[in-house]
Amino acid sequence: MKTCTVKNGIVEEFSDISLSGVGVRAFVDNKSWGFSSTNMLGFESVKQSLENSIKLAKTSSHLKTQELKLEPVRERVADVATFVKKPIGDFSAEDIVDIPLEAHKGAKEAGPQVADMKATYISIEDEKYFLSSEGTRIHQNTTRVLLFINVIAKSNGLLCPASENLGHAGGLELFDRTSPYSLGKSVAESAAKLLKTKAPPSGKFHVIIHPTLCATLLHEAIGHPLEADLAMTGGGFGDRIGELVSSKFITIYDDGHVEGGLGYFPYDDEGVECKRTVLIENGILKSFMHDRTSAALSNVSPTGNAHAWDYSAEPLIRQTNIGIKGGNYSLEEMIEDVEEGLLLEGTFGGQADVNADFTFGFQKAKWIRKGRIAEELRGANVAGNAIEVFKTIDAVGKETILRPGACGKFQFAVQGRVVPAIRCKILVGGTGD
Amino acid sequence: MELDENWGFLSNAVHKAIRALEEKDITHAEAFYTSTQTTEVAIRNSEILTQNKVDDSGVGFRVVIADNKVGFACTNTLSEKSILETGEKALAIAKVSSEIPNFSLPEARQPPKVKGLFDLRIADTTVDEAIDIAKRVINASENFDNRVIAKDGRVLFQSGWRGITNTLGVDSEERETKAIVYLGGAGKQNDEVTGSCYDFMFTRKADLDPKNVGENVGKMVTEMFKPQPLKSFQGPVIFGPEAVSYQLVDVLVDALKGETVMTGRSAWTKKLGQMVASENLTITDNATLENGFSSRSFDDEGFSSQTATLVEKGKLKSFLHNATSAKALTTENTGNASRFAGGFEMVHMIVGSGYRTKPEIYPSNLTIEPGNKRKEELVSEIGKGVLIESMAGFSQASSGLISAQLSRAFFIQNGEMKYPIKGGMVSGVAFDWFKQISIIGKDSKQFQNAVVPSLRIENVKLVGT
Repeated sequence: MKTCTVKNGIVEEFSDISLSGVGVRAFVDNKSWGFSSTNMLGFESVKQSLENSIKLAKTSSHLKTQELKLEPVRERVADVATFVKKPIGDFSAEDIVDIPLEAHKGAKEAGPQVADMKATYISIEDEKYFLSSEGTRIHQNTTRVLLFINVIAKSNGLLCPASENLGHAGGLELFDRTSPYSLGKSVAESAAKLLKTKAPPSGKFHVIIHPTLCATLLHEAIGHPLEADLAMTGGGFGDRIGELVSSKFITIYDDGHVEGGLGYFPYDDEGVECKRTVLIENGILKSFMHDRTSAALSNVSPTGNAHAWDYSAEPLIRQTNIGIKGGNYSLEEMIEDVEEGLLLEGTFGGQADVNADFTFGFQKAKWIRKGRIAEELRGANVAGNAIEVFKTIDAVGKETILRPGACGKFQFAVQGRVVPAIRCKILVGGTGD
Repeated sequence: MELDENWGFLSNAVHKAIRALEEKDITHAEAFYTSTQTTEVAIRNSEILTQNKVDDSGVGFRVVIADNKVGFACTNTLSEKSILETGEKALAIAKVSSEIPNFSLPEARQPPKVKGLFDLRIADTTVDEAIDIAKRVINASENFDNRVIAKDGRVLFQSGWRGITNTLGVDSEERETKAIVYLGGAGKQNDEVTGSCYDFMFTRKADLDPKNVGENVGKMVTEMFKPQPLKSFQGPVIFGPEAVSYQLVDVLVDALKGETVMTGRSAWTKKLGQMVASENLTITDNATLENGFSSRSFDDEGFSSQTATLVEKGKLKSFLHNATSAKALTTENTGNASRFAGGFEMVHMIVGSGYRTKPEIYPSNLTIEPGNKRKEELVSEIGKGVLIESMAGFSQASSGLISAQLSRAFFIQNGEMKYPIKGGMVSGVAFDWFKQISIIGKDSKQFQNAVVPSLRIENVKLVGT
């Protein structure tokens, strides 16, 4: 892994991070899992980890009330790799440093109000072996490249942040379509522009959620409650398979095979293939995202959603590339029908609870009055309950875009999101009038 | 035992690598190295979900060459060869880096003796004991009331070594232990499912109290049934320690970091000596607090620990510094270099912490001096207001904007807690709120990097559904 951070034009950090290790999971008595990991790769240490994992699994086996009939994973031998057009190895350290430096040059173009600018380049080259006693042998090479840009514009004591990320599974061709320079420039211009705007209002509004924000809404509000481990705790979507849980305009899926998606995974970390799983179809709840354990408890097949961030963490149910199927509306058509409302854009990240309560931040907004875009506003947070909010969706955009995402549920994960704009009713927590 | 043997090997190899770097054309070099053993038990839906044991050790080098160019490289492959090569990688990277003005590493100084960082009983904890604690926290919560479900939780015991050495004579090693019990619970009654309630205990000693944590969760959950929507209004709000420790501390930390002051983006830039908060607010950073969860005798670039007064009776006295920010702002280093910075910085989450990163500026135990009123007294003095024990949503740290969802909050009328609130948000600018603090509670609680009590803040905007 390589990271390079440029803060206000200075290469503040350039790191070379090489890590390796082994994580071992043992399943005993058809009930209990144990996990152990080590960064010492000698035979004795690895054997010790295996023994630890068995011992750990046995320790709590007698406490388990439920037997788990794990569906066998078909023996599989595979060797897969991300498609990379421009391999990282073909670029010198100087070339890499230039990426965030170019972003900084672009940001400077936005003028003197840019008070703080940080650009971070990250490349992750991950070589992973999965071996199981069921006979599976999978070798996966993944390459990911990301660029994060954060700008703060300042004027008369007012600070306005803006940020944007790029990221995909693949090589440095990531920057062929959007150059670091142009991205830095657009984020900085966006921050500077916000200095002249007012704070958004508070209360419940008819809103259009731009794809850049819809990615967070989808991940937090509906993605998390559809993860079987969270769903099984009750509340949220609990045991509502087959029921109408959302507006009928909504179809949601999770798909590890989305080309270039930051959450591109051919196989998960239990050796299960990451296929497309339809979660909600025309508003009806079809499936949850499962690992082998939750699938066994629910009498269904695992869906390839067991992922570990690295060798030192146990696999956990995670989204790969979650998506909302595009609808029938252009953005203009969605705006036309709004008497008074807001268009919310850009994300500041969010959170969700198991009862499907969620909150997340938007970077900027625009008033919509009588079907037309009016003045621009700053950012704030919105909040609601996913089940209630998703019933209010009355339009889904035609065009979907692929966004990079990340999640910090117990451990880190990189993910993709395929999202259109949507229109719904939501509570906005602005400080303005 | 195994841990100590590994440590000896790692320490030896790291010192060799630093000596090898000294022979090269460098200005300074530094190595930060750790070795830890962690035993963890995870709780899910009233059961022990899994248990794990993770051994981790590694080293991160910072190499400085002429014109203050700095490179960083790290590895967890523990051979002399790989450790030497990693030092050389850091040097190679420094060559393509740019000048960091005022870059500085601390010089050697005798660190203070900080009590209560290590407890042999934690180092010797077995997984059976960890499982026992997990069972006790589940039972304590669910026996409190049969509507309570222990949803997710963790019991963690960690024992390890932390070391730092640089070419300016810094050479310190410290042994430490940590223990955490944490539980999230929810309530179920007919069709109603409450939001999550959390309690936890962060400690250095083998004094985890699962019964207390479990009962607290049980009590919190039972208070959450039959919530009612809120109508928008503006009035007094009591923020409980959990709410303070998260969104409000995030804003404080960002404004107090030396590096945000250097760039001028801290909201408190140029405000030293001025009133930035109400007179009753005093904030210190106390790295030498006995048994403090983030106490240490030296920071993560080797500077000796101390207590720094940051805000005294509302007046801004100091920022948090590492060697570089102290030099840039020509002031004293406060020993706040941290390789375990909290928060939700995406880059940190990808790269990881400890030896995997260069240090940032972050508090050790950021402490808000407690007042003398109990929570009940604070509530009894409010005619119409809200108690917010926890809220969800990120603060916009730089601008101080907090617009958060009320996740565990109660409506107060005539000095009594009336009902839990369903939905609703709280919205405002934390820098204004700090000036509107009218009373501070005595209920201080230890979080990972903060020790904070309840705060009563006047004239806060609540957004109803």
